[in-house]
Amino acid sequence: MKFLGWKQIILALAGFGLIIGALIVAKAVPSEALSQVIEKALTRPAGWRNIIKEATPLLLLGCSVFLALKVGLFNIGADGQFVMGACGAVIVALNVSGPATIPLSILAGVLGGALWALPVGLIKAYRGGHEVITTIMLNNIAGYFTFYLVSGPLKDPTSQQPSTASIPATVQLAHIYQDKAFTINSSIIFAIICVFALWWYLKKTVGGYEISATGENANVARFAGINVNQLIVRTMSASGAIAGLAGALQVLAFEHRFYGHFSPGYGFDALGVALLAGGNPLAILASGTLFGTIAESTSVLSRTGVPKGLSYILLGVLVIVFAAYRYRKEAQRGTDS
Amino acid sequence: MEQILNLFAANDSNVIITLLLSTLAYSSPLILGALAGLFSERSGVINIGLEGKMLAAACATAFIGQASGSPAIGLAAGIITASLLALLHWVLTQVYQIDHIISGMGINALALGGTSLIAKTYLTIADKDMPTFPVWFYYGAAWVAATLVWFFLKSTKPGLHLFAVGNDPDKSRQMGLKPLKIRFHALLTTGLLTGLAGALIATNAGKFSEDMTSGRGYIALAALILGGWKPWPTLAAAVAFGFFGSLQLLLQGQNASIPGEFWQSLPYLITLVALAGMVGKNRAPAGLGQP
Repeated sequence: MKFLGWKQIILALAGFGLIIGALIVAKAVPSEALSQVIEKALTRPAGWRNIIKEATPLLLLGCSVFLALKVGLFNIGADGQFVMGACGAVIVALNVSGPATIPLSILAGVLGGALWALPVGLIKAYRGGHEVITTIMLNNIAGYFTFYLVSGPLKDPTSQQPSTASIPATVQLAHIYQDKAFTINSSIIFAIICVFALWWYLKKTVGGYEISATGENANVARFAGINVNQLIVRTMSASGAIAGLAGALQVLAFEHRFYGHFSPGYGFDALGVALLAGGNPLAILASGTLFGTIAESTSVLSRTGVPKGLSYILLGVLVIVFAAYRYRKEAQRGTDS
Repeated sequence: MEQILNLFAANDSNVIITLLLSTLAYSSPLILGALAGLFSERSGVINIGLEGKMLAAACATAFIGQASGSPAIGLAAGIITASLLALLHWVLTQVYQIDHIISGMGINALALGGTSLIAKTYLTIADKDMPTFPVWFYYGAAWVAATLVWFFLKSTKPGLHLFAVGNDPDKSRQMGLKPLKIRFHALLTTGLLTGLAGALIATNAGKFSEDMTSGRGYIALAALILGGWKPWPTLAAAVAFGFFGSLQLLLQGQNASIPGEFWQSLPYLITLVALAGMVGKNRAPAGLGQP
């Protein structure tokens, strides 16, 4: 099999053309835009800090989607689970005091995410309802539900916006490294550990093997004695738990409060991170960093007048082109009817 | 729509008429969007990209309409834009065999990014008045489309072919049908209908604003699922969602005990409960997502 077919090359070129076209529509000179990105995002400590900050949730959400993808499910709902996790974490962080607040708050986030993914697994396993549909529904419900919470019961009375109060400084996750503008928050450690744990679990344990076997062919797995339905429910909940963890860390490390429309569309980014990682969980480190870099680059560009919409185009093209590469086997099978 | 509400707010006896009119305004884009999804999914192509197509169509209708001063050119631009995106979905899922979910999400991202880019760049055009067809044209189109789709799927040969391809692409291939060609036509129809839906959304608002479809593509998808991929039940679900949506708008002003967010999430909740309650009864087209 060829490494790349002409079809994939055409698509990649078309995608590249689209990005250049988008830059021109936004009245930016592509070469200037590139030098702006290199100067302000890629070669400055403040830029590196933002890339690491952006990459932290993306690594975790990438793990979440990757895990679900392994068992054969598209977790489009990472977005909703992330939001519910963040909301759960902020409730605990604001109301519980004592030395155990941070672990409890993280636990609340993990539980929030897992519970939000539980119906997805149940409906998929026992009712045959497509997980993409249920997760889309749950994302929207999570959005409205948390918006109601932060504009009503959880609202900080002193705030004009629908937002909770800020969590006390004692429950904020500390920086592990600080040198003027360049800071690294400890939450990145959680994210990196999570990637390695996922790799270890999927590649080195029986449970991980069962997940891969079910994802490859659920019927064969069923005949091999794997309780496929239960596995789907468990894996989907675990996927939600990781997304919830991402939400909790986002609150404790960076945002320090919870507000309406908390997720800037992480669900799609997470799918991209997981897809680009291909078959190897450790590759999430690379793809998550890449997506973090794109996020920071487009936010640098938005300060020079190129609208933020560019980042969606960039990610859309990246995901589509990479998917075409990933599914090239299927495309070469020749369904020329 | 708010204008309609304000008009009748003064006169309480007209609340029912207000509600009916607003239901019509709210449900028509959902009907068009859901029927668009029906065409695509009945032919076997999963389409979660309705939202993006509607958004792109709304953007094209508003901006080209404003630039040209002609409602017909605006609508045509909307339909063409949505059709191009629908055909991109065809190319990606049928030629490149990319997973339908990924392609749909990618198209949504492109539409969201592209329309936001255009809205932020061409600010001077956005200030002009948007020429529009009367909304009744679109309301009528939604119901006529439902009738046509029902008749087409039930009583015509191409309609049955579409059905067959969506249910079992392999068998229909052996019967001499060409799934790729049938899906091409199905997705063109999806483009036409999402184009109308997007144009209506822009017409209702009188201008384009970023992310103005605000999830209505997904509600249309929910209506399609709740309607079991059948034309009339799908239409009924879309009308019901439209009714709850307008009820929420009506109740918004009067400090209601139930928060507005509850009404807004109701379509999603109902669909979720319906999916949970369907005991072993998966009514989706059997060949959904297959090559």
